Amino acid sequence: MRADDFSIFLLTLRVAAIATLLILPLGIFAAWHLARRGGALRTLLETVVSLPLVLPPTAVGLLLLEALRTHGPLGRLLDRAGIEILFTWKAVVLATAVMSFPLLVRPMRTAFEEIDPRLLAMGRSLGSGPVAVFRRVALPLAWRGTLAGVLLAFSRALGEFGATIMIAGSIPGRTQTMALAIFQRTHIGQDEGAMRLVAVTVVIAFAIVWTSEVLTRRRTQRTAA
Amino acid sequence: MRKSWLLALVCFALLVVGIAEPRPEILVFGAASLTESLEELGKSYGEKSGTRVVFSFGASSDLARQVQAGAPADVFFSADTAKMDALERAGLVRAGDRREFLSNGLVVVVPSDSTRRVSNAEDLVSLPRIALADPAAVPAGIYAKKWLAGLGLWERIAPRVVPTLDVRAALAAVETGAIPAAVVYRTDASTARSARVAFAVVNGPEILYSVAPVASSKNSQAAAAFVAFLAGPEGRGEFTKRGFVIRGTVQR
Repeated sequence: MRADDFSIFLLTLRVAAIATLLILPLGIFAAWHLARRGGALRTLLETVVSLPLVLPPTAVGLLLLEALRTHGPLGRLLDRAGIEILFTWKAVVLATAVMSFPLLVRPMRTAFEEIDPRLLAMGRSLGSGPVAVFRRVALPLAWRGTLAGVLLAFSRALGEFGATIMIAGSIPGRTQTMALAIFQRTHIGQDEGAMRLVAVTVVIAFAIVWTSEVLTRRRTQRTAA
Repeated sequence: MRKSWLLALVCFALLVVGIAEPRPEILVFGAASLTESLEELGKSYGEKSGTRVVFSFGASSDLARQVQAGAPADVFFSADTAKMDALERAGLVRAGDRREFLSNGLVVVVPSDSTRRVSNAEDLVSLPRIALADPAAVPAGIYAKKWLAGLGLWERIAPRVVPTLDVRAALAAVETGAIPAAVVYRTDASTARSARVAFAVVNGPEILYSVAPVASSKNSQAAAAFVAFLAGPEGRGEFTKRGFVIRGTVQR
């Protein structure tokens, strides 16, 4: 890998990691509540949370752009506070965070749903408060689902393109992640350089899918035993 | 249950079948800066000739690459002559078919409510960022780079450049308010809603567009006729109205 390829690789890993960590607390919170509460409200919330999965990424990008532009509802506040987001690395984090959120929540929600409610009731009957039950009973039982969600969200964040290019542009060294660099290099005729990055992404994708495969297989074997 | 599946299948099949060509049509690949004028001309040409004209707009560099990769374009309208040269070398355009009569100018745009002092090229050096159509490939960016390099400012401006997909994306970046300036064509600036011209570039590089039918076109007659229409009085009138400059026939 060449030096400039490596810095693109590092930038991509860094923003994907920050985005994943950023949405993790909110994701756990959302997954826990979506797994517990029933009714129409839950369906509505579930739908809203899943939207970035189904909407074209450019649509999400445009909505964020409209909100953040200097005269937009959020942009005005941020501008007053002196916080710059658009066309900086923070915009990359924001775009990837929003796009990855549903992928983080879904497997976690399923894992929470699979927990036997009697175990939670038992925890409560032994005198633990709801927070303690969640921390000591639910989270340890659902850790594989949580990990799967984190891996999925992280890999989605690594490859995000549409929303990112709309709000962060493709600035070499600042906002240009691997997905953007592949596109930009192809577009200026450096197919060879683009192919080098493609090779890197294949290796990363392989590692992530392999890891999650190993994790799921272990779970199946344990369930069988 | 089985019935509803069948219904869904039929609907889907209809959706697929619905995509059929109704009239003779030509596909024109046009530089992003030509968007409004070509759409207007395509509409009036369609009414007049019965040939439907459809467009794909983008950076001339991207469009040229797509044509080289075998895209079914019938006409290519580039914002510079270099991309057309490349197609000519690849045997995709015949030298005698090229028409080069259209020119433009560069301007520096800033957000409408900008309070920064931007009145000459030197002022650009003090800006944190400046949007340009990617100067590594896209004509508008190449012209801008040539202008700034001629003034000896490029070295200092290069690290601040936000490269964009095409010239309209550079304008859009300024319109968000997040990028303090961009170099675009004069004709792009007049399409802006929340950006204004800070100053016009004087003594910039010579800008020359190039249009030609693509040699591999399956509708070569219709393609040639549309190119002739663009270069004719009606085409020239529309381009002039939009702020382009008509050059006398350039001998090549």
